Amino acid sequence: MGLTGLEIYKHLPKTNCKECGSPTCLAFAMALASGKAELSACPYVTDEAKEALDSAAAPPIKKVTVGTGDHVVELGEETELFRHDKRFFHPTGVAVLISDTEDSAAKAEAFNDLEFDRVGMHYVTDMVAVKCDSGDAGKFKATVEAVAGKTEKAMVLMAEDPAVIEGALEVVADRKPLIHAATGDNYEKMTELAKNKGCPLVVKGSDLHNTAELVEKVVALGYKELVLDSGARETSQVLADLTQFRRLAVRKKFRPFGYPAIALTTKEDPREEVIQAGVYLSKYADVVVLKACEKQQLLPLLSWRQNLYTDPQKPIAVEAGLYEVGEAGEESPVYVTTNFSLTYFIVEGEVESSRIPSRILSVDTGGISVLTAYADNKFSAETIAEAIKKAGLEDKVKHRKLVLPGHVAVLKGTLEEESGWEVMVGPREASGITKYAKENFG
Amino acid sequence: MIIIGERINGMFKDIGGAIKDRDPAPVQEWARKQEYNGAHYLDINVGPSSAEPVEAMKWLVEVTQEVSDLPLCLDSTKYDAIEAGLKLCKQPAMINSVPAEMPKMERVFAMAAEHGAEVICLAMNEEGIPKDADIRVGLAAELVATADAFGITPDMLYIDPLVLPCNVAQDHGPEVMRTLREIKVISDPAPKTTVGLSNISQGTKNRELINRTFAVMAMANGLDSAIADACDDELMAAVASARIILDMDIYCDSYVDVFKQRNR
Amino acid sequence: MAVEIQKEKYRSKVGEVVLGATKDQGGTRSHTITVGGESALPFLHFEGEIPNRPVVALEVWDMVPDWNPCFEQYFGDVYNDPAAWAKKCVDEYGADLIQVRLKSADPDLNDTSPEDCAATVKKILEAVSVPVIVIGCGKAEKDNTLYTPIAEAAAGENLVMGVGELENYKAVTSACMANNHVVIAQSPIDINICKQLNILITEMSPAMSTRIIIDPTVAALGYGIEYSYSIMERARNGALQGDKMLGMPMYGNAGFESWRVKEANILTEEQPEWGEQEERGILWEATTAMAYLQSGIDILVMRHPEALKVIKGNIDDLMKDNSY
Ligand code: SF4
Repeated sequence: MGLTGLEIYKHLPKTNCKECGSPTCLAFAMALASGKAELSACPYVTDEAKEALDSAAAPPIKKVTVGTGDHVVELGEETELFRHDKRFFHPTGVAVLISDTEDSAAKAEAFNDLEFDRVGMHYVTDMVAVKCDSGDAGKFKATVEAVAGKTEKAMVLMAEDPAVIEGALEVVADRKPLIHAATGDNYEKMTELAKNKGCPLVVKGSDLHNTAELVEKVVALGYKELVLDSGARETSQVLADLTQFRRLAVRKKFRPFGYPAIALTTKEDPREEVIQAGVYLSKYADVVVLKACEKQQLLPLLSWRQNLYTDPQKPIAVEAGLYEVGEAGEESPVYVTTNFSLTYFIVEGEVESSRIPSRILSVDTGGISVLTAYADNKFSAETIAEAIKKAGLEDKVKHRKLVLPGHVAVLKGTLEEESGWEVMVGPREASGITKYAKENFG
Repeated sequence: MIIIGERINGMFKDIGGAIKDRDPAPVQEWARKQEYNGAHYLDINVGPSSAEPVEAMKWLVEVTQEVSDLPLCLDSTKYDAIEAGLKLCKQPAMINSVPAEMPKMERVFAMAAEHGAEVICLAMNEEGIPKDADIRVGLAAELVATADAFGITPDMLYIDPLVLPCNVAQDHGPEVMRTLREIKVISDPAPKTTVGLSNISQGTKNRELINRTFAVMAMANGLDSAIADACDDELMAAVASARIILDMDIYCDSYVDVFKQRNR
Repeated sequence: MAVEIQKEKYRSKVGEVVLGATKDQGGTRSHTITVGGESALPFLHFEGEIPNRPVVALEVWDMVPDWNPCFEQYFGDVYNDPAAWAKKCVDEYGADLIQVRLKSADPDLNDTSPEDCAATVKKILEAVSVPVIVIGCGKAEKDNTLYTPIAEAAAGENLVMGVGELENYKAVTSACMANNHVVIAQSPIDINICKQLNILITEMSPAMSTRIIIDPTVAALGYGIEYSYSIMERARNGALQGDKMLGMPMYGNAGFESWRVKEANILTEEQPEWGEQEERGILWEATTAMAYLQSGIDILVMRHPEALKVIKGNIDDLMKDNSY
């Protein structure tokens, strides 16, 4: 949303001199708000007012990038509070924490393995955070260098002593790491470092109010590649603060919070830590830093990220093809459905609960449901017959019978002709599959 | 959409008679009926020819509140009558109405601020009702800015762009629609909007059809409320449907009943 | 710099539903559990009241379940005895309440009679003092024969019973109405059906409006969870904005759904690149539950005691006041 009339009016001289062609400043403000006039028509607007109006018209949350090349992580540019209102855009960067007091080489090595293939998608743990716990600038620099040598992923450098950060930047500044953090005590020096090297900078306050203040100070120094950290570490308070960041930025265009946000876990137990990270990921963190680094710990978290950031307006598809449910053999029944993921998963669940090993042929309908695809000619005798061939179904089962969704029973005749298979008309709703299976194949 | 039930108005014969005889029965019957059918507010108007508007208003407010907990919309050009009514209201009421004219705005906004009342604001001034949407919106902005100075936030205001009968002022229709849309860019939060729905069909045949067609069109352009006949079932069904289409309520098969029963 | 905290102004709140009944109230529970009542989005204490914390149940079956072998070490000794199983869930694993699934009533399994099912429920009620949820075997025809005998046998206990579905809600609702139990209204990841079903149940008896628990069907992580998540967010927003027919507490079988999927079950040896199986399963279930807590769930039914533990800890953390 653009600026409202009242917001613009506040920046006008309120002299009603009419030079802009409008009878009053208020009328001119309204004309501006509805896009019927240009600000330049008023000769008396101050530069300050101009700047205020410009920045108010910018998108609610700035885009900030971390890393370089193929491993850039884009943060921010979010516009929503709820994914169903439109979508969330840039998936939360998940950063695994490596301390300069632990065996960093081994952890960095293992970090590279934290990538997963699942349902035809590739999930990546996209960031690595190196933290100075030693208090020793030399040690931190060496650790950062070692980690940087093992992985090309985007980095977060964590230390509050500018000298420590400065040392590390000597070796990795060209990788555009995210610096954590500028605080009330060090912000001048940290801002200067970040600005000189062109690296994004976390601004860490002591609470919400203080964070806003600090952001304004950093911005006043001329730097805007920022990420927010309210300083809170208790799960409940972090949830509240992240919510306020997002709400104030999106709903109120509150400039100091118009940046991506970072959240750090505190739990020692890895299970608790993954769940804590999950809360932050669900509610608005653009980067989450956690210590947990085992595959079984990251896979659930990255799966949730993938699910949360899917576009709700776009149908999601499972890979088309033949799926086995249970130990399917040559005599097992074959169900046909579309590759709309929700439809597929529901059918799969019902087939599974029939406890009769079966196959499901998922036809490529571009991820739309049975009736919509039928209406669109994407779920037709031709497409189904083609899918049978493509899946090599004839070699997998001895029988020549297919179960067709009841809603498209009309396809039976043409499909039998087209494919040479016998078509059995199944139930209209997936919930009838279990019963149907028992009656026909039990 | 917020429905302000229009029926308790001295202009109607039964209510006019009831006021004269101080007979609460017709007033209370209409209060109950409108509430039952889904009204969110009850408009209270002593009628144009009342000889004692202050006393009549006080009486109407009292007898209505005996049977209904709905908030009231005190409708009069006599601000003394509204003020007297406000003092008796058990919950925050709505003032109907004030134009963009200076002494009137001062009087009304001051009493609205004192009583925490919402205000229906008319997009007109001494010069009458403008046709052009830009002028209407300009007047609305003046009302919002003035209310702001009294500490009344824009979401407490209901701007009425003013509707004229479609058989005599057809050319106003598109301007009203545009006004409804542009009122939303005055401020954040934006002021709400309202119309006297039946004005659109004065003197026409097919009044109810015109009313409900206008209602859903205006809703699509951002209308938040209307002073209307809550007992017009077709109107209420059309409004409920429009709310579904505009994604303001979640669909279910019984959505019309759900809309009407919301306050019950 | 004072930041102006953004609080939503809601018109309404989620209805409260009481589960279980103490002796004074005609039952035998040591305490009741109240769910719902929120006038804010999940855990946003700064903008409203969250008077009741979400509760976590553990799942008990009335027969030996076909679960992943990793559950043996927790329940293997009580698989044959639902009452002992329930007791263990409460005493050892800290379940807030118990959900018994009368799986053995399935005509294709043991086809257990309604009377025997009722007896099982009675035994569980004797073994534990927490409120109890009872659900059928999942075959509507058979389940409809169970509700009344169980509702009568447990009259006064204020059970939660389910499930009622759009095509089949009358039997369970009547049983609950006649004996003052709470009904689970289940819809298939469809908010319109969810709302319609609540209306239909309320039409049977307006008094049921405070005795409905919404089950929007909670898909597992990786298997459509985002649909359920968004439906719950929409339902909760609708409830807070005054849509009473969505204003009931929400419930979900996070354990049952999570442990149906490959990611929770596949052995470490078969899929080493996904890490260790049991730990993966626990976190698959706990992550699923975590997401539903963030979208407004009030009653979670879990399966793995370790997943329950981590989720209860998460609820403790989230219930801490965060008002400004
Ligand atoms: S030219 Fe500027 S100061 Fe003059 S009336 Fe227009 S907006 Fe106001």
